[in-house]
Amino acid sequence: MKLKKGNITPILFMLPTILFLGLFIYIPLIQNFYNSFFEFSVFSQSKEFVGLSKIKELFVDEVAIIALNNNVKYAIISVLLQVFFALVLAAILEDKFFRRFAPALRVIYFMPVMISISVIALLFGFVYNPQIGLLNSFLELLGIEQLAKPWLGNSTTAIYSVIAMSQWQSIGLITMLFIVSIQKIPKELYEAAEIDGAGKIRRFFSVTVPQVKEATFVNLLVTVTGSILVFNEPYILTNGGPGNSSMTLAVHMYQTGFIKDDMGYASTLASLIFLLSAVFALIQIKVSKTGKED
Amino acid sequence: MKKLLCFLVIILVSSMFLAACSSSNESNGKASDGDQVVIDFFHRWPNEPRKSFYDEKIAEFEKLHPNVKINVDAVLNDSYKEKIRVLVSNDDLPDVFTSWSDTFAENLVSSGRIMELNDIMAEDTEWSGNIIESQYAGFTFDDVTYGIPFTVDGKAFFYNKQIFEENNIAVPGSYGELINALDQLKEAGYETPLVEGLTNGWAISHYMGTIFDRVINYDVLLKDYNIETGEFTDPGYIRGLETFKELTTYMGDVSTAIDHETARNMFAAGEVPVLYMQFAEVKYVQDAGNVEFGFFNFPAVEDGEGRPKSLTGAPEGWMLSNNAPPEAVEFLKFLTSEETAKAFTKADGQLNAIKGGVSEETSNPESLEAYQIILDASDATPWFDNAVDVSIADIFMRGGQELATGQTTPEEIMAKVQEAAAKLRNQ
Repeated sequence: MKLKKGNITPILFMLPTILFLGLFIYIPLIQNFYNSFFEFSVFSQSKEFVGLSKIKELFVDEVAIIALNNNVKYAIISVLLQVFFALVLAAILEDKFFRRFAPALRVIYFMPVMISISVIALLFGFVYNPQIGLLNSFLELLGIEQLAKPWLGNSTTAIYSVIAMSQWQSIGLITMLFIVSIQKIPKELYEAAEIDGAGKIRRFFSVTVPQVKEATFVNLLVTVTGSILVFNEPYILTNGGPGNSSMTLAVHMYQTGFIKDDMGYASTLASLIFLLSAVFALIQIKVSKTGKED
Repeated sequence: MKKLLCFLVIILVSSMFLAACSSSNESNGKASDGDQVVIDFFHRWPNEPRKSFYDEKIAEFEKLHPNVKINVDAVLNDSYKEKIRVLVSNDDLPDVFTSWSDTFAENLVSSGRIMELNDIMAEDTEWSGNIIESQYAGFTFDDVTYGIPFTVDGKAFFYNKQIFEENNIAVPGSYGELINALDQLKEAGYETPLVEGLTNGWAISHYMGTIFDRVINYDVLLKDYNIETGEFTDPGYIRGLETFKELTTYMGDVSTAIDHETARNMFAAGEVPVLYMQFAEVKYVQDAGNVEFGFFNFPAVEDGEGRPKSLTGAPEGWMLSNNAPPEAVEFLKFLTSEETAKAFTKADGQLNAIKGGVSEETSNPESLEAYQIILDASDATPWFDNAVDVSIADIFMRGGQELATGQTTPEEIMAKVQEAAAKLRNQ
């Protein structure tokens, strides 16, 4: 679109959006970067300029390293389960053989997506309960009670228990996105492949996977940035504990700001989270050389 | 002309939106000119019986004052601490809200958004004088009182009398005897003779505060708990953490995965013979189960340099925000009146700081015994997480969890604490 001189109508139409984006996204973002150069408290109105010291603090903060590590684990497991497994699941659900059950199965897989995360966290608090929890009771039922653990109270299992709950909740959404994308693949492609003698697995890799490239890209982006931002799940289930073993960057940021009352450093952590997610998004856009639906 | 009109309309609409956004903060400064007055009330008891108690009191107050409408919000302990901080940072404080004493109150006061109560108290001495004077201390800073104490509390080991009798175990008089008793209980088949919900940081901090008060000289504690002079170099802290670690060995695996409420229910069900609890919980235990229990203070630690008999506990009370309407003051007086206090103790079992609030008529023998322990306590130790800066408390609380799961050592924890203390001193 080329703007004719004096034609300001398009700009006027965009103005409210630009205004609101600026007001609620970009100005706070810049303000946050600015805040990370100050020492200030929730309770006080005065700010003290401390230069780069909050950023230096980031490099010696053991908790941030644990948190970053946990976010990386979160991302890797989420990509494996939510993107790759969800794609397989979607392909199975769209398979001729499963078509009859597909609507029911879709509802079942999608159900957790609609439940609020707080409710799910409470539910899983019960599942993981060391005494009366479903998980330990189930293990006992199978006769392998030696595997029973206080899942959320053990520093090695806590983060994985939290991640597992997220997967359970989110896989339905990603699966649905893949299903929509698979449904758009022209039938002729599958027919041609079948005539050429391709089996189900071959058809999946040679037709489905390349055809859902755009959806895969979007899902990867959603999952990875989601893993960097993850807050609710660890916050409600474990509050980052025991110790700091299930800490994530966002929980660490929240606690630094609102519990330890160090708003400057919390802003620094917020900037780190923003930079990480932006960098990951850019890398993914670059690698997949796309970013728009054609 | 058309374009200009279009432009003006958009500007007008945008500015209306902006105006709507910016005015949302002003809902606090309500006028009280006979019109409807709205009071925001925030407390930390979404659970029964106290939730119903406050709901009833609100209804009662609204009936007495037809022009007042009270908006109530309630969340539990840890969430409350977080939410109130968020609210104070946004200058969005409720008109009337609960507060712990000591550093918690002091932090809130430092925001400059809490109402000073000296004049209000001086104007109505009949009301303010009916509160046990010693309890004001935790809410008074530089001679200005910012909070009205309401509940009083103390922490002690609750023990199951029947189990102790069956196994011929005497009430421990010293820390060594406590460990002996726990060993005996273990032999008697109680896998976890002691339990605690270690997912709650505050529960850990209560243990630490008491243990430090037993093993470390009081003057050293006073110096260390002050952010300007705190160093935390006394070897007593290591000993204290070792003591805590020793106690967690009697709590088994579950402790780090459950909360205090679950632990309390285990005690009330007779599954666990000993639990470190607040007197405020007497009624909960009585309601949840049918065990006969007694209590004993955290016993003296052999050759500990601290105060062997002090009682951990501090009052909680009410605060007002700076821009609360006059009706909120009325509501505060209503909440802390003798009549409310009596009904409160009757309904809830919690002890309070209002003279005449706790009596045989309103309370049960266990609570009266507890009340006497509080009034007689040689000294009071504030809750540890309110006594020290929150960044120090956080290291101890998370460290306590890690000690229980064997992920860290007392020395590592103290190194972190000393680092944090040095940072605070230099601020």
